[in-house]
Amino acid sequence: MNVLEVRALSKRFGTEQAVDRVDFELTEGSATALIGPNGSGKTTTLSMLAGLLESTGGEIQRKKGLSVGFLPQYPRFFPWLTALEFTEMAAKLSGVDPRKARQQAQRTLEFVGLHQVAGKKVGGFSGGMKQRLGLAQAMVHQPSLLLLDEPISSLDPTGRREVMELLKSLLGQTTILYSTHILNDAEEMTDQLLFLRKGRLVEQGSLDQVRSRYADPQIQIRFENTDAAERFVRESPWPATAKGAAAVLPVKAEEPVMQDVFRYLAANGGRVLGVEQETASLEDIFLKVVAEK
Amino acid sequence: MKQLSTLLLKEWRENVRNYKVFWIPVVFILLGVTEPLSNYYLPQILDAAGGLPDGAVIEFPEPEPEQLLVAVMGQFQTIGMLVLVLAYMGSIAGERRNGTATLLYARPLSFTSYFLSKWMMASLIAMISIWTGFLAGYYYTAVLFSAVPFGDFLLFAITYSLWILLVVTMILFASAAMPSAGLTAALALTVLIIAQLVDGLLGSRWIWSPLKLPNYAAAFLDIGPDGGAFVGAVLLAIICIFGLAAFGIWFSKRNRSKAKV
Repeated sequence: MNVLEVRALSKRFGTEQAVDRVDFELTEGSATALIGPNGSGKTTTLSMLAGLLESTGGEIQRKKGLSVGFLPQYPRFFPWLTALEFTEMAAKLSGVDPRKARQQAQRTLEFVGLHQVAGKKVGGFSGGMKQRLGLAQAMVHQPSLLLLDEPISSLDPTGRREVMELLKSLLGQTTILYSTHILNDAEEMTDQLLFLRKGRLVEQGSLDQVRSRYADPQIQIRFENTDAAERFVRESPWPATAKGAAAVLPVKAEEPVMQDVFRYLAANGGRVLGVEQETASLEDIFLKVVAEK
Repeated sequence: MKQLSTLLLKEWRENVRNYKVFWIPVVFILLGVTEPLSNYYLPQILDAAGGLPDGAVIEFPEPEPEQLLVAVMGQFQTIGMLVLVLAYMGSIAGERRNGTATLLYARPLSFTSYFLSKWMMASLIAMISIWTGFLAGYYYTAVLFSAVPFGDFLLFAITYSLWILLVVTMILFASAAMPSAGLTAALALTVLIIAQLVDGLLGSRWIWSPLKLPNYAAAFLDIGPDGGAFVGAVLLAIICIFGLAAFGIWFSKRNRSKAKV
């Protein structure tokens, strides 16, 4: 079931087309990564979904009663409020029963690991603490959709890992749409990838779907030693290349030619330790998508 | 309007924690006591500044207490208004510009409650300030010179309060409409100065002008303003306050997309 459907969503700033006829859907409980280089329209798209910007074209259909939590890339807080005061205010303004808002704020601060500094003013918080507080204010009202703009980009590796773990613990309960350029992390938490370039959606699908579209057809055959691999490269009828103790063939695992390869290996090869389809990393795909489209 | 109490609490905390609730009244109290004190101690002040040339004799006529209170109002009209503009010019435009408004605007926010919470808090502090300032001026005038009838003083201060409410509404309207705190100050001050200039030129014909409220306030310390003109000016001031507040709410909502993300 879709919680959000975006049809031909567009945004123009003067003469600049920041977002150009973007279509996608978010399934309930899924995690979607919005990927693209700087200036590709990620923040503008998220701002429109969060209701901060009016679109100049297209439509956004929200599931009835959908509540949304939004974390901007650089959340800015009133420095004179404490973390608890801010989170409680965020809860009340998002419709949480005022009698339960404080308790819910405390629980959320505990969830993001800020319960020990709940009474401290936000003005003295580090960047990592502000990011966690940003997450707390976005989720304090238990929204059904979380929109996160680069939630981990400004964090150090430890902070990044911790926030990723927090987000992963929400998977299934909450629909998450987040933008990122840290592609290794996106690989860990995504059901759907949306690639934006110059405001246009140039690729979308699950990680496996996108991988299969962009992965180079490469089979890696691992031998016992480099001699065996080099002999295969030299003597086999296929255009293989050596890579240490492995030979790399430019074919896909499901291609019929693989039957011949297995037969050849059985008849002539040395001891084969494994045959693997090489998978492209999200970073490889990103570079291809950005370069090709 | 359910959000009004939440937003009012936020405004209260802001005004307490950045000390506006203390320093603005202190400025107005200082402005209030300066007139009676400087008039009372004028001979000593001149002596301390080097005195008069030998043989020069100047008679200092004792000022009327009503004149002193009008002079206090004059201080409020210049320095006091500038203080209010500087204190509240960033109320909405500043929050948009520094990005703190983004986390509010990304919620189902009632912009009526948002604007009203700022208006109510700024008005409360402005009222506390002018009343403590006037009362301080009234007290020192009574102690050092003589007392103005308290009933006249109340009518004077209440009428001037309505003018200050109009000024505060103007500042918040400008803050909602303008993209930055600096432009807010420029717009609010320009409108107030030009309006007073226009009133000075057309004043004798346009007696229902809210800009005349300070004059009508001062008249309560004398023979009192013309009743019809006063009521007309008060009604028009109230209409202007409602009108500016309505446009302020509309601009707050319209300009929400200008908040820094």
